[in-house]
Amino acid sequence: MLRDITLGQYYPGDSPIHRLDPRAKIILTFLFIILVFLVPSLWFYIPIALYLVLAISLSKLPLRMMLRSLKPMRILLIITFVLNLFFGTGSRELLRLGPIVIWQEGLLQALVFSFRLVFLVTGSSILTLTTAPVTLTDGLERLASPLKIIKFPAHEMAMMMTIALRFIPTLIEEADKIMKAQTARGADFETGNLLARARAMIPLLVPLFISAFRRAGDLAMAMEARCYRGGEGRTRLHKLQYTRRDLIAFLSMALMYAIILLPRFIF
Amino acid sequence: MPIVLEQVSHHYRSGPQTTIALDNINMTIKDGELLALIGHTGSGKSTLAQHLNGLLEPSSGRVLLDGEDINQKGASRRALRFKVGLVFQYPEHQLFEETVYKDIAFGPKNMGLKDEEIDLRVKNAMAQVGLVFDEIQGRSPFELSGGQMRRVALAGVLAMQPRVLVLDEPTAGLDPSARDFLLGDIQRLNRAGTTVVLISHAMDDVARLATRVAVLEKGRLVMEGTPVDIFTQQEKLSSMGLDIPENFKLAAELRKAGLNLDKHYQTQELADALAEAIKGGGGDAA
Repeated sequence: MLRDITLGQYYPGDSPIHRLDPRAKIILTFLFIILVFLVPSLWFYIPIALYLVLAISLSKLPLRMMLRSLKPMRILLIITFVLNLFFGTGSRELLRLGPIVIWQEGLLQALVFSFRLVFLVTGSSILTLTTAPVTLTDGLERLASPLKIIKFPAHEMAMMMTIALRFIPTLIEEADKIMKAQTARGADFETGNLLARARAMIPLLVPLFISAFRRAGDLAMAMEARCYRGGEGRTRLHKLQYTRRDLIAFLSMALMYAIILLPRFIF
Repeated sequence: MPIVLEQVSHHYRSGPQTTIALDNINMTIKDGELLALIGHTGSGKSTLAQHLNGLLEPSSGRVLLDGEDINQKGASRRALRFKVGLVFQYPEHQLFEETVYKDIAFGPKNMGLKDEEIDLRVKNAMAQVGLVFDEIQGRSPFELSGGQMRRVALAGVLAMQPRVLVLDEPTAGLDPSARDFLLGDIQRLNRAGTTVVLISHAMDDVARLATRVAVLEKGRLVMEGTPVDIFTQQEKLSSMGLDIPENFKLAAELRKAGLNLDKHYQTQELADALAEAIKGGGGDAA
C-alpha cells in the first residue's frame, strides 16, 4: 500500500555531475542561486539557460525528471507571472482592457521573475537529483565543520540526518506491515469522514511510534557497542577529495559570473 | 468451506523490474486440516498467506472461498477478513490499546458486535490462549512479557472467531516454553475445528503438528503431501536449502547404518522401534 512512495529525488547515475565532490556541488548550487538573482535584464538569462542545459546534458538526467521537479511549482509560477503582469507599471503601454493596463515593463518584469523561479528550481534540483542523500549530508558536514569552533555540532547534525534518511524506508515498510495487520483485524483506513479517519490512524501510529523508539534504542546500543563517541577524532572510509573535475566546475561558474557582472562595470 | 487457489500468480514491481512472488499456484486448503507452508526465505509463503484473506490480490488467477471468488466485485473484503484470520509475524508489534481487553476487543468491535458478545469473545479468546482474564485484562499490553504479548495478539485474532486461521511464523523469537505453549494452543484450536495454515521454519514443529505440508520454492508450489511423504525426501529438500526434522534425520542415518525401522518417524515411535531393534537383534546390530 505504501510501497509506491519514492524517497528523496536521487537519480542514480555515473555522469561527470554525479561524480563531482558533494561540497563542490553544494557551493556551486549556492553560487548559481546568487547568480540568478544578479541577472540585470532578460537577455542575460540566455547564457544562464545555456549553462543549465549544458549541466543537465552532462548529468544525463532524463528531461522528464527535471520537468517533474517543476510540477509542484506550476501554481506559484502562474501567480508570479500574472501578478507581475498586471501590477507592474511603466511608461510604455502594451494593451488596455478596460481598467486593466499591461505595460511593457510589467511584461518584462513578469518574465524575469518567472524565469528566475524556473532556474532556481531546476538548478537546485540538479543537486538533489545527482547526489545520494548520504553523500549530501557528508558534504554538508564537511562544509559546516569550521563552525565547530563556535560549538556548532556539525558532525552530530549530519549523523542525525543520515540516520533519519536511513530509517525512512524501514519505517515505511513497518507502517505497511502494521496497516495490513490491523486491516486483517477489520480496521478501515479508507472510508469515513476526516475525524473517523484520524481516529482510524491510532492503531497504526501507536505501534509505529513504539517500534521507532525501540529501533532507536537498539541502534544507540549497537553504536555504543562499536565505541561510537561522536565526531571527535573520527576518521572516514570515503575521504572527500577535490579533483580536477571540481576545479573545472568552479572555473565554469567563475566564467558565468564574469559574463553576468562584467557588463555592469564596462558600461 | 475449503479455500481453493486457482492458478494464482502475483507480480509486483519495484522500480523498473517485475518480481514474480507467486507463480501459478494451484492448491486447496481443506476444512479442519493443519496445513504447514514451508520454504526458503523469499519463497513466497507470506505473500501466499496474504492472498488468503484478500490483503493482496492475485495478478492473475482466483482465490475461492466456499466457491466464491473473494476478489470479485461486490464481495465484502471485511467480512472475509473476519472469516479468515491472519496472524502476522511478530504480531505483538501491532498491539496499540491501553489495556489487553481493549486490544483483543478491537477486531470484534470492528465486526459491529454488541458489547455482551464482545465481552464473551474476549474472555473466550483469552482462555483459548491460556491467559487468565482477571489477572491480565486490565493491564497495558506493553508491560507483559514477550510470550504473553504474542498470546494477546493471537487472542486479538481469535476473538473474531475465524473459521480459518493463518499464522505466519508464530513462534519466531519465543523461548522454548512459550513456543511449546503457543503450539499447544494452535493444536487445540485445530482439534476444535478451526482450519489452520501454519507458516514455519521450524521443521520439528511442522512434523509434529501438520496434517499436510506444502513446499514453496521461488513462488512455485513444488511439493505437497503428508509430513512423512515430504520429509523422507531429504535430498530434494536440502537442494532448496531446507532442513528436515531431527527425528527424520536420525531415522535416515539409522537406515543408512543398516537398521531398518520401517515407517517410524515420530519421536516416541522411533525410540520404541530403536529399543526393540537393539534388544531383539542384539548381536548383529551392535
